[in-house]
Amino acid sequence: MTKLKTNNVSKGNMARYIGIAAIVAILLSLPAWGGKYAVMMVMLMGIYIALGQMWNLLAGYSGLISLGQQMYIGVGAFTVAVTSNYLGLPLPLGLVCGGLVSMAIAIGLSYLLLRMKGMYFAIATWMFAEAMVLVFVSIQFLGKGQGLFITAARKLQAADVYYYSIAILIISTVVVVVLLRSKIGLGLFAIRDNDTAAETSGVPQFRSKLYCMMVSSFITGVIGGVYYMSQVWIQPYAAFSISWTVAAVFIVVIGGIGTITGPIIGGVIYVFLSQYLSTLSQIGSLSQVILGVIAVAVILLAPKGIVGTVQNRFGFEIISVRRWMGKYTDRLPEPTEA
Amino acid sequence: MDGMIQAIIQGLLLGGLYAAVGLGMSMIFGIVKITNLAHGDFLVLACYISLLFMGVFHSSPLTTLIVVVPIMFFIGFGVQRTMLNKVIGRGDEPPLLITFGISIIIQNLLLYFFTANAQKLASPLLLKSFSAGTVSIPVLYLISCIIGVAIILALGVFMKGTYLGKAIRATSDDTEAATLMGVNIKSTFGVAMGISMVTAGVAGVLIGSLFNFYPSSGSTYLIVAFAVVVIGGIGSIYGTLWAGIIFGLAQVVGGFVFGAAFQQLVGYAVLLIMLIVRPQGLFSK
Amino acid sequence: MSDLLRVENVDVFYGDFQAVQQASFAVPDKEIVSIIGTNGAGKTTLMRAIGGVLPAKNGRIYFEDVDITGWPTHKIVDLGISQVPEGRKLFGRMSVKDNLIMGSYTPRARKNAKGELEKVYELFPILKEKSTQSAGSLSGGQQQMVAIGRALMSEPKLICFDEISLGLAPTVIKDIYAKVRELNNGGITIIIVEQDVKRSLKACVEAFVMLKGKVVLSGKTCELTEDEVSKAYFGM
Repeated sequence: MTKLKTNNVSKGNMARYIGIAAIVAILLSLPAWGGKYAVMMVMLMGIYIALGQMWNLLAGYSGLISLGQQMYIGVGAFTVAVTSNYLGLPLPLGLVCGGLVSMAIAIGLSYLLLRMKGMYFAIATWMFAEAMVLVFVSIQFLGKGQGLFITAARKLQAADVYYYSIAILIISTVVVVVLLRSKIGLGLFAIRDNDTAAETSGVPQFRSKLYCMMVSSFITGVIGGVYYMSQVWIQPYAAFSISWTVAAVFIVVIGGIGTITGPIIGGVIYVFLSQYLSTLSQIGSLSQVILGVIAVAVILLAPKGIVGTVQNRFGFEIISVRRWMGKYTDRLPEPTEA
Repeated sequence: MDGMIQAIIQGLLLGGLYAAVGLGMSMIFGIVKITNLAHGDFLVLACYISLLFMGVFHSSPLTTLIVVVPIMFFIGFGVQRTMLNKVIGRGDEPPLLITFGISIIIQNLLLYFFTANAQKLASPLLLKSFSAGTVSIPVLYLISCIIGVAIILALGVFMKGTYLGKAIRATSDDTEAATLMGVNIKSTFGVAMGISMVTAGVAGVLIGSLFNFYPSSGSTYLIVAFAVVVIGGIGSIYGTLWAGIIFGLAQVVGGFVFGAAFQQLVGYAVLLIMLIVRPQGLFSK
Repeated sequence: MSDLLRVENVDVFYGDFQAVQQASFAVPDKEIVSIIGTNGAGKTTLMRAIGGVLPAKNGRIYFEDVDITGWPTHKIVDLGISQVPEGRKLFGRMSVKDNLIMGSYTPRARKNAKGELEKVYELFPILKEKSTQSAGSLSGGQQQMVAIGRALMSEPKLICFDEISLGLAPTVIKDIYAKVRELNNGGITIIIVEQDVKRSLKACVEAFVMLKGKVVLSGKTCELTEDEVSKAYFGM
């Protein structure tokens, strides 16, 4: 393990960090020199990459296939509208509130959801999301199905929302990396590789998965807030639409499930593809069909997605989450004889 | 009071149909050990296929079963053989995601070709009913319930009495041992999925005659099917029947008590309570 | 005397792990042979390769001089190789009768299923008594009878008994071996996989000892000494 920390590697790391810094610099300065269209595209990429990272945190690392991410999007968006319209809170604070409300819902549901596996978890999350929209469209001050305007968001410039989006992109990616490199992440890998062995070796399954659900719901809630700040008007059936989860699944499956770079690459592809498809007239809902066909084909033919397939062939990782694991291996309990 | 009795009767009859909605999903979950997230969408697909052939034949919905049943069988067999069989043994996630993808594909294809407008399979029986005492029994509900129960019984006989049915049960008990008996597992899975789709197709045609449907109705019936699987316990054919009745009763009676708008929410609540109290199902051994 | 089954230089893998290396042996027609070895020696893997459940990576397997390497299991069963698998692997939730009937699943066997079922009931009368009970509710010995009966239902020429005595009481084992001999006298060729050296040497005509995936010793039982076999068995 010590060999990993030779000069070569730290030089490689240096180059890596410089590269990342350069990308961040380009992203931050884009509104100053980029066109309107470029700013909008990158803003959408930020949102969708973050969405993918959060779904991947559950599906790729914790083995939890959530089909209810749209629940957090909708809740986050409506919280921003309510806090700013009715309570007069500033938008950034509203975003945090949106994240917190989403997280509170996730914590409440987790005691039920985390006892389920596989299909039960998947369908139950879907069911909760469907139930949630039924509740939301029946409440008067949430617009009763007509939706709500985020009044304060009308004054926002495109660049403002852009920076929120870049912030959420960076935060979501960093949080996933940090989380997975922590002891929780180690536990998750153990769970993913072998459920019962991880439990008997003292890795607290429930807590690790709960943390992931909390992080995922919080950030997805914020994503919902940011996206609907750019739209100004929240239409409940769109905010709670399963197509949010469809997008997340597509992004992660195409990019590579269980990798950090997968959602990034998948998110970029998704935004380009869906923008391109939306320019084709007469295509309508066929664009979703095309996304679905591509995703199914990738699962069948290249189950590890673009990043996983490239990694397999060339044997390198752009951002590894297992790198720091050496640090923790000495804390693992002694393996017992079977 | 009469209204309540009416609701109970309607709930019971709807329950028989709900059992047929969930039957195929329960069977696939028990045998192939995968969750078909597109089960509801296949059911809705059958509604639209029936709609098409009603136009072609100028016939009633039930008559179109002659074509709907074989078409659904081949769709199920084909999906299993070309896609799902390829990911067996690769864990829970790939089949879940593939069927999710199929669900999205079906839903949006229907949306493209048939628009989002409400559709209904116009049946001459829809408004007919006969009265028993103070309550009236809608004929179409009764027929749906009878057909739903008949499918369940027929499947039960098929599974117990034929080589193929036995092979399907044997496969779900112990896949490798079934292989050793000379069962071709992949083809058996294909047949099982075909049968599952036939049950979904028949249920779909009945549902489509009773209620409006849209391209997006699939998730509603997926949740009905899921409820039937959860309440009935996995792979228990007759448990499915009771589960359908419980769920149908809960929805209709709940809707009667709290108002029609809450019919679906009451269903979700029942399912939720089941998941908390007895996730392995009421009728599992 | 010709060989019914010939296994030549077969390699079998579980993923990356090679469980059987270059295994070769032959089973003479209408004989009993036994394959002996410790846990993890590759015996079960070899049986699964013969049955077509696992693919043989290299080498060839011949049955009645037909090359069956890579054939799907259902064709191999139809040809006349039947298995009594390790741990019996009954269909626990199905009735005893349905378990037996599943044994006659192949097209060839279906025609005579009724007659074969009567023969099995004759061999093991207790199974007729318990025919409607679920197989999972039977005792270990009775379950082994169901597994044997099920294998017979396909009218096999060769039966592979994997870990035939594992988990059974000594008196039951004795009965089972007696039945195996009876079957052999009726003309069925038999492979017995055993961990118990003594018992298998007594029962068979020819023995093969496996160690770490390889066949390390083979010969006629009368020519092998127990000491020799034990040494090969433990790799000393």
